[in-house]
Amino acid sequence: MNSDILISVQKVSKCFNRGRPNEIWPVREASLYVKKGEVVVLKGPSGSGKTTLLGLIGCMSRPTSGRIILKGQDVAKLPERFLTEIRRKTFGFIFQQFNLIKGISVRENILLPLYPTGMSFGQMSERVEELMETLSLSHRAGFPVEILSGGEQQRVAIARALINNPDILMADEPTAHLDSKLSMNLLETLGLLKSRGMTIVIATHDPLVFETEMVDRVYEVRDGRVRER
Amino acid sequence: MKRYQIFISIFLFEIIVLVFLLFSASAQVAKGKKEMLSLKDLCSELSLTDLSVWTEARYTRNPSQADWFSPFQDFPSSVEHFPAGSLIEPPMRRKR
Amino acid sequence: MIKHLKILEFALSSLLRRKLKNLAIVSVFTTVTMVIASILFLTHSFKKEALLILQGSPELIVQRIQAGRHALIPLSYVDAIKGLPGVGDVRPRYWGYYYDPLTGANFTVIAYPEGIRKTEIIEGSLPGANEHGYCLIGSGVADARFLQIGDELFLQDIKGRVLSLKVRGIFKKSSQILTNDLVIISRPDFDRLFGFPEGHATDLTVQVYNPTEIQNIAGKVKKLLPDTRPITRSEILRTYDSLFNWRGGMLLALFASSVLAFVILAWDKATGLSAEERQEIGILKAIGWETSDVLTLKFWEGASISLISFLTGIILAYIHVFYFSAVLFEPALKGWSVLFPDFRLRPYVDLYQCFVLFMVTVVPYTASTIIPSWKAAITDPDSVMRG
Ligand SMILES: Nc1ncnc2c1ncn2[C@@H]1O[C@H](COP(=O)(O)OP(=O)(O)OP(=O)(O)O)[C@@H](O)[C@H]1O
Ligand SMILES: [Mg+2]
Repeated sequence: MNSDILISVQKVSKCFNRGRPNEIWPVREASLYVKKGEVVVLKGPSGSGKTTLLGLIGCMSRPTSGRIILKGQDVAKLPERFLTEIRRKTFGFIFQQFNLIKGISVRENILLPLYPTGMSFGQMSERVEELMETLSLSHRAGFPVEILSGGEQQRVAIARALINNPDILMADEPTAHLDSKLSMNLLETLGLLKSRGMTIVIATHDPLVFETEMVDRVYEVRDGRVRER
Repeated sequence: MKRYQIFISIFLFEIIVLVFLLFSASAQVAKGKKEMLSLKDLCSELSLTDLSVWTEARYTRNPSQADWFSPFQDFPSSVEHFPAGSLIEPPMRRKR
Repeated sequence: MIKHLKILEFALSSLLRRKLKNLAIVSVFTTVTMVIASILFLTHSFKKEALLILQGSPELIVQRIQAGRHALIPLSYVDAIKGLPGVGDVRPRYWGYYYDPLTGANFTVIAYPEGIRKTEIIEGSLPGANEHGYCLIGSGVADARFLQIGDELFLQDIKGRVLSLKVRGIFKKSSQILTNDLVIISRPDFDRLFGFPEGHATDLTVQVYNPTEIQNIAGKVKKLLPDTRPITRSEILRTYDSLFNWRGGMLLALFASSVLAFVILAWDKATGLSAEERQEIGILKAIGWETSDVLTLKFWEGASISLISFLTGIILAYIHVFYFSAVLFEPALKGWSVLFPDFRLRPYVDLYQCFVLFMVTVVPYTASTIIPSWKAAITDPDSVMRG
């Protein structure tokens, strides 16, 4: 394996409720890798463990066993403090449910990751205006997010994922709430990001996504086991 | 104007008002000092032992002094007692 | 620093989402602070003023007790007490109450003692020696009877005859706390008004040279004249001190229900973090907020509400007590009264009390916002992945 490899997941397993009757292993000995600038898709039916795996790669939680090497560093056993920093600096997340904060304006939702940083208000608003412009959200900037349409909310979620200039974009079922036209728009946006050198990991069961040409590799997830296709 | 600026302005404004009030309080106390002293002198010249606060009945006028204390002297239906009623008013007839 | 400001900015937007709820909290918080602070301000300055003025009261008063009740004291006791070592002057006091059926008020009638000096407290003039048929009255009496200097005050003496007294002087309003109900008249008028028995006084004031000897001399008086009751100034001051504490405490008890409601509100916040709030904390963590950032956010949410409410409450309390004479609960503190002193209190403020109030309101409120978030903030954020 060469140095292009950004993420390398090695025999990772995750267990919930260990030792109790409802013990469950949504991810078992999964191995995969992601190179810089690639678009990688995790595909699989509902409940197969895609979201859990994405969470492990994105440092949301730690694996029960196995290693996750991110930029040459094993993150599987890092303390929470470092994981937070990695999440902030390295990853941008688009969640299955968009996870926007209701009652707060589009602009503020997009800015969320930047509040606890040293960036000035001026720089922040510069970045957010620029992003809203690219994602054509400018006309909604002051609206509370909950009155936006699904597609608009999706774009807000993308903008929020991109605001901190992440190396890797993680998208969990990004087309789940969109019709085919909006899904195509989304894929265009993702393609644009790829062309700018962004690494993208997508979990989905939507053929529209994993059959587009920009996808470099597809992993099939089934009952927590991962197979390259 | 950002929200935090509004908040901090309100906060600082209130602090300033409070500081101003405290200063004016001590100024007022200092100014009233002479009057306080002459009140104290008057108190000793008249040999007074109590403040004229609870004047509604004889037994409440000089709480520190021995007297024929009896709460029902002038207001037989006064339910409350020493040193003065707070919650229940005297019968209307007695009130002006 | 900039980070704090930004988190504060976000905390404020976050609070504005639930405008009504937070407005309600702010107004309840402000009211509770205002009520408690008003009571503290009022009692403190009242007490302070009372204790300062009463420093001038006689060191020792000797009253005669008969069958456990106050009785007039024979003037022969004066020489007996004067004979005790350490005792200076012993003077008789002549005073009594006059119930005025016209106004329903009680006046305190005092026989003119020697040695009153004319100060700015007294409007009008002082009577000459051996003069009678005059009176010096408190402003409460003047108001109740609509009297001005030069007018006549009519009282009914013990035999039912009218005693007419010319108003020579009126004590200024600012001295009401001491003089409101006073009627000062000459000895001959006093004797006539009350039919006072010859050779007796109401009680005696005793001057003691050495203040540390007062207790001692009080004991000696009691031994020498077993039918007397000595009252020392320190006893009076102590009684007033606890009296105001008691009345302040009673007021506080009256408002205990509102305080309790507030505590329940804070408790509710402290124990239950709604699913929505938990979710929000998870989102913040997931997108890279550190635990400390989340707690800072919660700190600002609690602190901004409680600081503003506290300051507003204190300011309102000050204005209420010292500019509006505590109109809201003056009656409860002073009791109902026919001659109602409406003096302006001098603003003695005890910063320590303010500090304590701060410690029992702002601090627990802020803590109750932070602490429940703590648990949500330290757990892994992966739960938000599944919504
Ligand atoms: N915190 C948890 N505790 C217990 N079980 C969990 C937990 N999180 C996930 N699971 C279980 O793990 C399994 C995999 O869940 P996951 O959300 O990863 O599936 P998915 O592939 O993303 O499905 P979908 O396509 O429906 O989103 C599910 O059976 C789920 O019930
Ligand atoms: Mg999923």
